[in-house]
Amino acid sequence: MSVWLEGLRRVGRAPMILAGVWAMTVLVAMPLTLSLRDALTEHLGASLAADRAAGGVDYDWMQEFGDVATGPAVTFKPTILGFGAVLDNLSAFLDATTRPIAIVAVASAYVLLWIFLAGGILDRYARDRATRADGFFSVCGVFFFRFARLAAVQLIVYVFLFTSMHAWLFDRLYPNLIRDLTVERTAFLIRLALYVVFGVVLAGCNLLFDYAKVRAVIEDRRSVLGAIVAAARFIGRNYAAVVTFYLLNVALFVIVLAVYAAVAPGAGATGVSMWAGFLVSQVYIAARLWVKLAFWASEIALFQDRLAHAGYVARPEPVWPDSPAADAIREI
Amino acid sequence: MSGVMNPPLSPRNADYTIEARLDAANHTITGSEVITWRNITTRTANELQFHLYWNAWKHDRTTFMRERALGFGPPSRVRLTDADRSRIDITSLRLTSPPAADLTTQLHAIAPDDGNADDETVMAVPLPQPVEPGGSVTIDVKWTAHIPRPVARTGVIGNYFFIVQWFPKLGVFQDEGWNCHQFHAHTEFFSDYGTYDVSLTVPQGWTVGATGVQRERRDNSNGADRTTTHRYYQEDVHDFAWTTSPDYIERTARFDHGILPAVDMRLLLQPEHASQAERHFDATRATLKYYGEWFGAYPYGHITIVDPAYQSGAGGMEYPTLFTAGTRWLAPARVTTPEGVTVHEAGHQFWYGIVGNNEFEDAWMDEGFNTFSTARTIAQMYNPNYLAVRYFGGFIPWVFTDIALARETEGNRLHPYRRDAKMDEQSTPTYRYYPATAGSITYNKTALWLNTMERWLGWPTLQRIMSTYFERWKFRHPKPHDFFDVTTEVLGRNIGWYFDQVSRSSDVFDYGVQELKSSREHDQHRTTVVVRRYGEAIFPVDVLVTFANGERLTERWDGRDRWKLYTYDRPSAAVSAEVDPNRVLLLDVNLTNNSRTLAPKGGEAATKWSLKWMVWLQDHLLSWAFFV
Repeated sequence: MSVWLEGLRRVGRAPMILAGVWAMTVLVAMPLTLSLRDALTEHLGASLAADRAAGGVDYDWMQEFGDVATGPAVTFKPTILGFGAVLDNLSAFLDATTRPIAIVAVASAYVLLWIFLAGGILDRYARDRATRADGFFSVCGVFFFRFARLAAVQLIVYVFLFTSMHAWLFDRLYPNLIRDLTVERTAFLIRLALYVVFGVVLAGCNLLFDYAKVRAVIEDRRSVLGAIVAAARFIGRNYAAVVTFYLLNVALFVIVLAVYAAVAPGAGATGVSMWAGFLVSQVYIAARLWVKLAFWASEIALFQDRLAHAGYVARPEPVWPDSPAADAIREI
Repeated sequence: MSGVMNPPLSPRNADYTIEARLDAANHTITGSEVITWRNITTRTANELQFHLYWNAWKHDRTTFMRERALGFGPPSRVRLTDADRSRIDITSLRLTSPPAADLTTQLHAIAPDDGNADDETVMAVPLPQPVEPGGSVTIDVKWTAHIPRPVARTGVIGNYFFIVQWFPKLGVFQDEGWNCHQFHAHTEFFSDYGTYDVSLTVPQGWTVGATGVQRERRDNSNGADRTTTHRYYQEDVHDFAWTTSPDYIERTARFDHGILPAVDMRLLLQPEHASQAERHFDATRATLKYYGEWFGAYPYGHITIVDPAYQSGAGGMEYPTLFTAGTRWLAPARVTTPEGVTVHEAGHQFWYGIVGNNEFEDAWMDEGFNTFSTARTIAQMYNPNYLAVRYFGGFIPWVFTDIALARETEGNRLHPYRRDAKMDEQSTPTYRYYPATAGSITYNKTALWLNTMERWLGWPTLQRIMSTYFERWKFRHPKPHDFFDVTTEVLGRNIGWYFDQVSRSSDVFDYGVQELKSSREHDQHRTTVVVRRYGEAIFPVDVLVTFANGERLTERWDGRDRWKLYTYDRPSAAVSAEVDPNRVLLLDVNLTNNSRTLAPKGGEAATKWSLKWMVWLQDHLLSWAFFV
């Protein structure tokens, strides 16, 4: 537990990382948001529907807009409101719902940015001290191509999971399992069980790739396949701790969702209430990002706690692009 | 409560005495029926025509299956086996009077609607002796039927049986001849009123629900085969449906009203919905009350509400004195599941059950009238009710309490209508509608034009029209002009121009404000407003102009020209102009263009909503971040 908490503390001791990824999330979302804003402005024009839409919800207008919307704007539905947005995305994730191509493109760019930043973030948490921007980004650069190769492996795995496996579970197995069911609750429990199966496989892959990244950064591994194998070995030897940490982080995720479910802003009006609602939502987005970083930081803390050569956090200024492990070895 | 209606309410010219035995293990029904049919037209009948609805799912070449494939998306990935399909075969058809004759070999399939030789949903048999007006015949029919997996609201799943459109049934003989359409993918039914005396033999211990009242119940034992025969009886109805399952739980309640007749309500409920019994009863009570007060009394004294089993596909359907509701395991409060469907199907007892229009040809006369009436009832009883969206495979509901659903738009289903408005003229026979959009023209458009009439003429007037129509055409088969004629009679003027547009055309209504300007000239402000008719259809509308000093001017525009200019010289500048400000014309397919303001808030509103969407997008991006 103390190691896990240490992971969380490392996230707390690097607030610029959280601020940075939050800013990135805002900036990546901004172009499509501005594009949607233009489309909404054009559709509302000078009509009084805008007054109603500004003051609350004009569901009629939303539906009218939906009838003429194209591209990413087709996702502008009531489900974007409050906690519905979270459920909409979570449900789409588990049900492998496709999104408009423009959104997929932006999301892909977002993933690419994460791949770029991952090395720097993991390195920062491994060292557990400020590394300055130039240090941070030079590590990002060092690991970008390694993580890009890892991403290629991840892509193959996740595409398989979200196409073949998901289709098999939910489009073939599930309909056959419930074929003669007359009780909805039972059907739901079966679906829930399949979500768990799918989720466990996803989580397993996620864990493996996370620890592959952790080992790659801490041990300055160049071979992606070597890092994956090493990650598997580590997970195998520390199975209970790894799973416990993962579940604790999942619990954090659930807590964040639960809190947001309670405080998520509704439609509201324009002006101060609009910005207050937006602020609450951004706190939620930041909390989600914090949870994501907590996954990584706690995994690093665990890895460093369990392996002697990785357990030492370097104190002197690093000479880039030495790995944190090399950094640590020099201190021995 | 005996199923006897005294004096008779209907012509009772098609009486059925049926004995049917369910083989629950093999999913078959063996039945025999005696039909006594009387020719109540002015025309001589030389043949009889029967519906054999269950042949619609015999194979994929039937008219029903071909239509279903047209515009209804990909078929289910669950493979249908031969055992899942249905069929109904008449094994014997004998005329018992007059004179006795075995007509079995003369029975032949016909396809009056599309000539599809593979469709066997209508059978004809020539009569050895014509039936003159006023004459009658009695025929004895024996048949076997295989029960399908649930399709078109009938069939079997697990040990849940919902059995409708299940017996050889006569078409309706009219002055124009037999009206006996093939079974189509998006149409329902049409038949004559009569008396149904039906004995159903099912496994012992199973609950039965059926049209009418149970008069007799007899246990049978033949070795290991233990069955119970339930005899149901009802007069003055035009169909008979039944259901059986060992899993139903049964609840009863009563509708009492100071003026309207009392009604005993019987609810057959799925165990997982046990906590929702009162919601079903309350919705049924509301229907009996409001429909009864607005249109006319429900006369039968009893009603059976069936909560169908999950995946039975039987939900949301009406049969005389029995209907299926439909709810979910998770049914949050303030959302009208199960109330919406319960009110709608209970409402069909009035629009379909009592006023028996031809659903093959004029389905809008019951579905549309009932959609309108349902929305009105829901607005009275369940206001506000909210939008709910279901997630995770459609199981988990989330209620959007920011979005209260309005009767005028959501209740009347404006949104789908807007999309499908031009797909068919409503006066086209329903069975010829484009299948995928038939619902919008049948249900939604009618509800919208009726509600428009309510807002235009006032509810007391529309209520008088509808109750007069109900009273005049109960237990008969009205046609569209019958309703239009009643409207003329009650109003004292003909509004055929309106029906020409809403019923006999696919034109859309769309009025808007094209331009609003206000500029200072000398000591006055000159305001010009241009309103425009963008759609083809015409309706008189108000134009409201509001000025900065609070002055409001309302103009009456006949809406005929393509555009109209209004000019004002006033001490204040205009603030806004609005066409149809009270939203009388609910059929207007574009509300956003109905107004203009000189202080637009489009930017503000767009900022607000795009920020909401941005949070959704950010959250979506975080889903993707999982993969890194």
